[in-house]
Amino acid sequence: MKILKLTLSLVLFAGIIMMNINCAKNIEVSELYAPESPLITIRAWFNAGSINDTPGKEGINALTALTIGEGGTKELTYQQVLDKLYPWAASIHPQTDKEVTIFIGEVHKDHLDEFYKIFSDLILNPRFDEADFLRNKDLLLNHLENTLRGTDDENLGKQALNTFMYDNHPYRHTEVGTIQGLKSITLDDVKEYYKRVYTKENMRIGIAGGYPKSLVDKMKTDFGKLSSGKSVAIKLPDPEPIKNMEIMFVEKPARGTAISMGFPISLTRKDKDFYPLMLVNSYFGEHRTFNGVLMNRLRGDRGLNYGDYSYIEHWVQDAGSRFQLPNTPRHQQYFSIWIRPVQPENAHFAIRNATYELKKLVDEGMTQEQLDATKKFLINYSKLWAQTTSRRLGYQMDSEFYGSDFFIDRIEKELKALKLADVNNVIKKYLNAENIKVTVVTNDAASLKEAMFNNTPSPIKYSSPVSQKILDEDKIIEVFPLAINVEKSKILPVSELFEK
Amino acid sequence: MIRITGILLLAFAAFLLIKTNCIAQESKIFPYQINQVVMENSLKIVSIPFPSPGVVAYYTVVRAGSRNEVEPGLSGFAHFFEHMMFRGTEKYDKNKYNEILKEMGADNNAFTSDDVTVYHTLASSDALETIMDMEADRFMNLKYSVEDFKTEAGAILGEYNKNYSSPFMIMYEKLREAAYEKHTYKHTTMGFLKDILDMPNQYEYSLKFFDRWYRPENCVVVVVGDFDQTKLIELAKKYYSNWKRGSYTLNVPLDKPQKKEKYIYIPWKAKTLPMLSIGYHGAAFSTTDIDMPTLDIISQLVFSQTSPLFKQLVIEKQWVEFVEGSQGDSRDPGLFTIWTRIKDAKNINAVREAIYSALDDIKITPVSQEKLATVKSNLKYSFAMSLDNADAVAGKISHYIQLTGDPESVNQIYTLYDKVTAEDVMRVARKYFTKENRTVVLLTEEGSK
Repeated sequence: MKILKLTLSLVLFAGIIMMNINCAKNIEVSELYAPESPLITIRAWFNAGSINDTPGKEGINALTALTIGEGGTKELTYQQVLDKLYPWAASIHPQTDKEVTIFIGEVHKDHLDEFYKIFSDLILNPRFDEADFLRNKDLLLNHLENTLRGTDDENLGKQALNTFMYDNHPYRHTEVGTIQGLKSITLDDVKEYYKRVYTKENMRIGIAGGYPKSLVDKMKTDFGKLSSGKSVAIKLPDPEPIKNMEIMFVEKPARGTAISMGFPISLTRKDKDFYPLMLVNSYFGEHRTFNGVLMNRLRGDRGLNYGDYSYIEHWVQDAGSRFQLPNTPRHQQYFSIWIRPVQPENAHFAIRNATYELKKLVDEGMTQEQLDATKKFLINYSKLWAQTTSRRLGYQMDSEFYGSDFFIDRIEKELKALKLADVNNVIKKYLNAENIKVTVVTNDAASLKEAMFNNTPSPIKYSSPVSQKILDEDKIIEVFPLAINVEKSKILPVSELFEK
Repeated sequence: MIRITGILLLAFAAFLLIKTNCIAQESKIFPYQINQVVMENSLKIVSIPFPSPGVVAYYTVVRAGSRNEVEPGLSGFAHFFEHMMFRGTEKYDKNKYNEILKEMGADNNAFTSDDVTVYHTLASSDALETIMDMEADRFMNLKYSVEDFKTEAGAILGEYNKNYSSPFMIMYEKLREAAYEKHTYKHTTMGFLKDILDMPNQYEYSLKFFDRWYRPENCVVVVVGDFDQTKLIELAKKYYSNWKRGSYTLNVPLDKPQKKEKYIYIPWKAKTLPMLSIGYHGAAFSTTDIDMPTLDIISQLVFSQTSPLFKQLVIEKQWVEFVEGSQGDSRDPGLFTIWTRIKDAKNINAVREAIYSALDDIKITPVSQEKLATVKSNLKYSFAMSLDNADAVAGKISHYIQLTGDPESVNQIYTLYDKVTAEDVMRVARKYFTKENRTVVLLTEEGSK
């Protein structure tokens, strides 16, 4: 094979971009200056997320962000804001997660001044119109009541896993709250939350592109006018330990069976061990590629479904790419496996197959050859993640959140130094195939529950022949024992999920 | 529909090097040099230098999609075949192929739609020759076993299952099935479920499909980013010269104009808000006929966030979560499709009437020059802001290649947008938005209608 000189490199931005953090009047500004780029991105970041939701009013963080970002200013109604942005094809949208809320503005430099006035006014002088509040409240309620419960089984499975994994933890409810929580929120609650949380102590800004340098000072002055308040940082408790396989069967009408599995891990990008585990995960289940063990064994060899991946941090795909959405960082992360919908009769086998592969990984570790190949891949592939200034700025701000060097640079530095012992140590230290939570979105929960509780053999049903090697391995997988914690496992009608 | 990602959405842009400050004054919308070389076997190589140091996007555009599935019982085959293209050759079997891509750290994938199948890779410029070697090899020498073929059919069914937990997909499937009589746009790119279930039995047809469409005269290679043009053409000659032309001629059956309004109701077993989809037969993509660009402008005038309809339904009455309407570019006349999700079933009829009323209004009320200019400005800035990286540029140019085979279509179509007048808007609205030309699909939660 040809030896490739792989120099996917940071030269993409060399010479045209400077990064630095500017701090004055309590407002921190992350800059990514690209003078040749006429496109400007502003990311206004608040250290607040669904963990800051008022008890009983779960969803107030998301609803406040939407009422601001999808609302009006003191001067302009929401419709007038839309009318202004439209001819410029400019956009402003809020994004919320567990610990961070961010407003992302994108505009061509032809219209930067007018755009910035609207963008900053939305945050500094929000209109808090009752109609905007009600429209956005409906949007969030419908997302939980209808979209997740009725029309999006894969995300339903992922959200159900989150709820199941973080029982009695601030991460438990969704990023947009609960149904009862949302219903109880009034516009006055939103105003109070804004006043308490949208303070300069909780805020920082990022800007990227060919902006005038004078704008940085202006942003510091303008956002420095946010009121002073207390930090809303919350000390997160440890997630509850998991004993054996705990399963939540989410029952709803469903054509296929969507499966998510996982457990919390005590690692973030700040930690040195994160990087060898990141490599292990890439080998085992890199998102939307054919590299991973899971993808090759479940889909490639057996045609069980459309895809099978694994993750070591909360992972949302950025629209229009196969890369991670920036600015959803968390101080506590989790390992997870995403098994895309399988035929219902193969669900038990698919869970066994994924667990079997995870156990093999834990027991056998990786080889030097696998390490070398994955290392090369990840060092180069990660450089594709920041091909635009907007995404690069997002990654930079996430690195600052974690108190770590720029993520893409750190991946290269850490991975280059990795030895086989490093990766096999972190496999043993952080992964296991026994103590894991599983959510299964299924049409027939009772049958699957009975089969799983009884460890009934689950031969895979093929519509066409596969090789003898696969059939031989199937014999092992179809009776692979799953130690199920019956007491902690349950069937939950979908109508009970996300309720409170 | 893609092997891994589903629907191609181009990433939002932030790294564009536009040559003038004011987009609206550009004579050509596409700001980069387009090189075109046609090889002796008719394979076209389109290359666009782009400031992405060390990075190159490599696309192979096969101008065949589900539109090409003319035989009954074989819908969904273009998409299925896209999956099979990752099953290897004698020189690079599937494991070797993946190993090399992995070593490159490449982002590699493919997608299929009505008119096209696109294979795309984003990787280091240093890997260009390896990419070209592997791509040329699989386009000429693809080889897979019957077992591999049948196993992949399982992944297709998995993709169908994944997609069809969403009512959008069911509605889209039923809308097309009802709206078209003979044309292959009758089925979605996924294909009919009965055909998907029969795919494992169609190995022989898969070979025929490859033989028909994976030919140089039907494909265009697009390279965008950091590369040397002379070297690129040398490599193209080295790796693609032995690719032989084909001879198959496609005859897509055409529909007669729809004469009567059609209506479909779908009960949904799970939770959902009522959803309404309305399709009107529209115009084919053209760089000379004004109808298609006029429909794009009508889409903005009637359904954008600044439209009176949006203001009425979303902001003031708050009857719907969203309302949108557009026609995607297509080689033959596609459907101008309107979508809305209604918060309360009691308002279904009122929402539908509001949509019809907005479309009727645009037939008789001339749009102001100011409003028309606003829409044209939005289209141009949206385009400019979508070209921020090599991959996005390659994706955008491939879109126009699929439609006409000519990358310059991108400039021609934006020139046409500029020519659309208020009179065009009224004429085109009267021509297409008629009762007899529409198909309506309503989906509600079972038992709630």
